[in-house]
Amino acid sequence: MIENFKINSSEIDKIKKISKEERNFRINNLNFFNEKGFPNKRQEDWKFSDLREIVQKNFKKLNVNKVNSKVKKINLIKDFDHNYIEVVNGELKSSNFKHEEKNKIKIKNFKNDNFLQESKDNPLICLNHALSDKGYHIEIEENYKFKKALIIYNLFTEDLKENILNSRNKIKIGKSSELHTIDLVINDSKYKFINNVYENIILENNAVYKNICIQNEKNDGYFHKFSKNKLASKSKYSSFIFPSGSKFNKLDLEFNLEGEDSECNLQSASFLNKDDHQEIKTKMNHLAPSCKSYQKVKNVLSSYGKGVYQGKIYVKDIAQKTNAYQLSKALLLSDNSEFNSKPELEIYADDVKCSHGATSGNVDEDSIYYLMTRGLNRKESVKLLIDGFLSEVVDMIKSNSIKKFVRSKLQGQIHGY
Amino acid sequence: MLEIKNLKASINNKDILKGLNITIKPGELHAIMGPNGSGKSTLANVLSGKNGYEISGELKYQGENLKEIPIEERAQKGIFLAFQYPTEIPGVNTNNFLKTSLNKVKKAKGEKELDTLSFLKLLKEKSSELGIDEKMLSRQLNVGFSGGEKKKNEILQMKILDPNLTILDETDSGLDIDALKTIADGVNSSRDKKKSFLVITHYQRLLNYINPDFVHVLSDGKIIKSGCMELAEELEKKGYKKIN
Ligand SMILES: Nc1ncnc2c1ncn2[C@@H]1O[C@H](COP(=O)(O)OP(=O)(O)OP(=O)(O)O)[C@@H](O)[C@H]1O
Ligand SMILES: [Mg+2]
Repeated sequence: MIENFKINSSEIDKIKKISKEERNFRINNLNFFNEKGFPNKRQEDWKFSDLREIVQKNFKKLNVNKVNSKVKKINLIKDFDHNYIEVVNGELKSSNFKHEEKNKIKIKNFKNDNFLQESKDNPLICLNHALSDKGYHIEIEENYKFKKALIIYNLFTEDLKENILNSRNKIKIGKSSELHTIDLVINDSKYKFINNVYENIILENNAVYKNICIQNEKNDGYFHKFSKNKLASKSKYSSFIFPSGSKFNKLDLEFNLEGEDSECNLQSASFLNKDDHQEIKTKMNHLAPSCKSYQKVKNVLSSYGKGVYQGKIYVKDIAQKTNAYQLSKALLLSDNSEFNSKPELEIYADDVKCSHGATSGNVDEDSIYYLMTRGLNRKESVKLLIDGFLSEVVDMIKSNSIKKFVRSKLQGQIHGY
Repeated sequence: MLEIKNLKASINNKDILKGLNITIKPGELHAIMGPNGSGKSTLANVLSGKNGYEISGELKYQGENLKEIPIEERAQKGIFLAFQYPTEIPGVNTNNFLKTSLNKVKKAKGEKELDTLSFLKLLKEKSSELGIDEKMLSRQLNVGFSGGEKKKNEILQMKILDPNLTILDETDSGLDIDALKTIADGVNSSRDKKKSFLVITHYQRLLNYINPDFVHVLSDGKIIKSGCMELAEELEKKGYKKIN
């Protein structure tokens, strides 16, 4: 039981070659974290996900030490051609951009050079600022469209044991450039661990970024990701995420639509069962006129699965002609599963189209009856309905080969139901 | 094929079927007509195994006590109900569903399941017979289908599953003249010595095409009159009120 988890500042001294400024930044953040500890339900942002309680219940100790794992070879996906980078326990290990013009792409280990304190509200972000010393940093030059998708293989090794990993990633897409990424989590871990990520994505004018996130193997990981996304004028961001299978997962996604006519489309589909606890939190900040945002969050919950969606849409006074839409749908398969949603609108402009909706309910009995009269048993019928419910998001993926790949991943997961 | 004796069914304390008798032999086509709310769909639901009804009386299908057979097994044993109002099921692809359904039934019968290719061949054949646009079948099951398209989709399922006992619940309602003819042809081409049909309808027109062996009038939960095609003609002229 770790009642009062504190991290010694000597951990920061282990990080090599840092300036005085960086050291101060890290120490400050470490102090914030040590003061507050893991966030608990008394903090508004964490009221449905009491991480402190969850950590206390499940961890006897926590290891901040670096892990030097022997890395097996990652089995690359053969379903379609792609570029890739390999990230092991948060650390960039290799990259391969064989389908692209190399001089258009910069890839390196992430090195922080921004030591402005942005917020102290989320202790996990402070923890990340204090300790993260790995991650990737990708920059795409202007006017370059990727020919093939980039797969980010995120491997978690089997020797992880009560570790807490902190990593930081950044992707910057230059003017009128386009990048498609697929974030794939491969989890070989056998024990519990915490993975705490800070992500920063920047789209310059007219840039296009499409992302698919697949994390669906059952695992004992406790994940937190804070993602900060900046959209410049006429840029387009879309993300289809399929997270599930982790003991705990919180995705805290912030989008700043800073340039006119920028667009953000976020859709998720999750199947949560057997004590999975997952929260998706989005904050859409409409800061410029004529931007569009769309969020659709679908959750299927069974045996003690718990899902949360907190979605906030903020429209600044100058952000006229905003078009913002948010929808959350949950399908509850058992009485002991739970779904909470908290939509929030904060609008200071008058000429806007803004709407949100949330539904949650059981599987439709008439549908089950119909399917059963066609020879399917109850379980098969429910499975087909779950698949149908979640597939709606998969179907939005344009590339057929990628769609097929995602679908098979998702079906494998439902199969266990 | 089907023997129903003194069937009573109620739901939410409302008695709907009040002692219904009917026997359908292999190869026979029976039509049931009756006023709105008389219990026709309830009978169809009870035969398909829908939950929620309180049932008494005797229900036998191919000699077996139907009450003991779960819904999906009734389908696997060859009972097929074409719904009056087919359920819209978002997200479920029609093609996929049809294939899953067929293979479940085939498997239960101990037959070889169809692979995608041979299934698509069968589907193409059956859907073109019924004048169904194949594009419709790549859509979500019944979602946004027009009334007539939904009914055709039911008949397509009947054709694919090839049941022993088919119950059509007002499959002819809401169909245009050509579609009605197509569906009647679909029924006629399925008829043989071994297959039986229970056709619920409000209109004589369908019956003209399919020539029922028997026509029954269901009123207030009971069969009040049985006869042959002439009874349907009489009903068309006089209405239900004057029949008894
Ligand atoms: N779940 C229910 N609870 C209460 N009453 C019901 C329920 N289901 C059906 N009924 C009633 O039972 C009666 C018979 O309904 P049913 O649908 O079998 O009629 P029907 O003969 O098929 O009529 P129609 O020709 O209009 O299709 C109706 O009065 C209906 O309102
Ligand atoms: Mg009816």
